[in-house]
Amino acid sequence: MITVSLQYFAQLREQAGTSGEQWSTAAGSLRELYAEVGARHGFSLPADALKVAVNARFSDWSRPLSDGDTVVFIPPVAGG
Amino acid sequence: MSRFELSGAPADLDALREALQHPGSGGFCTFEGWVRDSNEGRDVDGLDYEAYDDLARAEGDLIIEEAIARYGVTDARCMHRTGSLQVGDLAVWVGVAAAHRDEAFRACRYIIDEIKHRLPIWKKEHYLDGDTAWVACTHVHREHEHEHDHIHHDRTGPPLAPDYSRQTRLREVGEAGQARLAAARVLVIGAGGLGCPVLSYLAGAGVGALGVVDGDRLDASNLHRQTIYDARDVGELKAELAKRRIAALNPTVAVQTWTEPLHAGNIAEVFAEFDLVVECTDDMRSRYLSNDAAILTGTPLILASVYQYEGQLQVVSAKPGAPCLRCLWPEEPAPGVAGSCVESGVLGPVPGVLGAMQAAEALKILLDLPRQADDLLLLYNLLDHTSQRLPIDAAAGCASHGGCIEVARRAMASAQDRADLSIRFENLVDALSAGFSLVDVRDPDEIAADPLGAPARQTPASQVVDHADEFAGERLLLICSSGRRSDHAARLLREKGTRNVHSLAGGLKALRRAPNLITQGSD
Repeated sequence: MITVSLQYFAQLREQAGTSGEQWSTAAGSLRELYAEVGARHGFSLPADALKVAVNARFSDWSRPLSDGDTVVFIPPVAGG
Repeated sequence: MSRFELSGAPADLDALREALQHPGSGGFCTFEGWVRDSNEGRDVDGLDYEAYDDLARAEGDLIIEEAIARYGVTDARCMHRTGSLQVGDLAVWVGVAAAHRDEAFRACRYIIDEIKHRLPIWKKEHYLDGDTAWVACTHVHREHEHEHDHIHHDRTGPPLAPDYSRQTRLREVGEAGQARLAAARVLVIGAGGLGCPVLSYLAGAGVGALGVVDGDRLDASNLHRQTIYDARDVGELKAELAKRRIAALNPTVAVQTWTEPLHAGNIAEVFAEFDLVVECTDDMRSRYLSNDAAILTGTPLILASVYQYEGQLQVVSAKPGAPCLRCLWPEEPAPGVAGSCVESGVLGPVPGVLGAMQAAEALKILLDLPRQADDLLLLYNLLDHTSQRLPIDAAAGCASHGGCIEVARRAMASAQDRADLSIRFENLVDALSAGFSLVDVRDPDEIAADPLGAPARQTPASQVVDHADEFAGERLLLICSSGRRSDHAARLLREKGTRNVHSLAGGLKALRRAPNLITQGSD
């Protein structure tokens, strides 16, 4: 198990009820991590509708995780 | 062209009035000054006006220009008599045409007060007792100097010319930068929460020409974040209100307005007229369309959007090899996926902050100020002041689908193909008289609960394609409650080769928003 730092934006922040949290996981990739987190918080957005960034760099969903990574899930937003 | 006229003989008032007729004007206000039979207790028989001709004409024109800029009226004219006049004769005439009556009244008042105060015109009164006297035409009360509650401007005389010294003092700006701004043309799409600060800062900075695109009318729910509007403006077109606000803030800015959203058929042409576009709508479709048009025309685009307490900012430079919106999120998200201010709420200053950042980016580009080297997505959360500065790797985006230009070209072509798919009608009777056969694609229980009230075939959206053969040769209008299912079904039918099929834009809801639109048999 590793621990990553999660940050949420927009709808995800609202659905998670927090803008960030520490998360212990055995997920092998970002995609698996999102499925795991999404199941816990009831995220309505599919991963394909989002961008994901790790340690302030956009990343591929297949990227493996390392202990201490900061992971940010970013949905598109439309408000103006 | 001179709007001010000095006339030695009675003027043709019909011609003056006609010169002000304009289809955009909803209000026309005139003031007439007549020769009165008494002044300060003495009986007056008549008078002579004498003017310092050249100066009076120049000053008269200037006053009218000031009034037009100050109140945003369509046009104005003034005629002042010279020579001998009898009691009851017309001495001065002011006419103002404007979109609305309020500005017309106020501009009219401004012109007559300033004329009386500033014009080098003297009058010699002839009294019944045979005496005469020259009367000075000064010291009048100028009502507009006492307007506290409306447009705030300087209190003495004409509005000051813009003073850009606070920005030209910046070494990187200077007079050369100011000249660049004066020559710049910027299009702002959306005059809402983001658009308000963008328009204010760009107009204040002296950007020479601003285009404003907004099809909406001001709603009371806009006022907590859309800071250039007044409560009494509710119901007015935002593009027109913004134009007036800009004229009041900086009369030197030329403003062009679009009161319908841009579409695939005209957007590239419009973008090509501008140096830079700032996308400030709350509409995903507009954002993607703007992105594609920016890429195809090589016009830099500044995107921002907000959600509750946070916002996103992205500058699409439209330079070869630089990333675009589709490099991040390739397709426009399905309706409802991206939150809107209506559904999710927004704290007023959030679009204010992001809009101010857009304005800063615009000025940085126009002035060629030092800026970040990499292409970024910026995320700001105003609750906890966290921000993310995420470099966008162009190689990981559209590059794998032929590059941004190819992706944008395909998207624009398909948007153009869809352009005539949905058609707006005010009511269904119009659709029937235009020769359409109506197809209600709602489910039977929806139809039972809310009958269409017009002759229509009933085929649920999911089964429309199976019935394609029955529709051959007809001009079809598919109808559902919101326009979404009918759009989708019409697209599927077209793919199956049924060409003459359309969808009612906005669905039944769009009809019912306005009164008296569904006619016979309506619920």
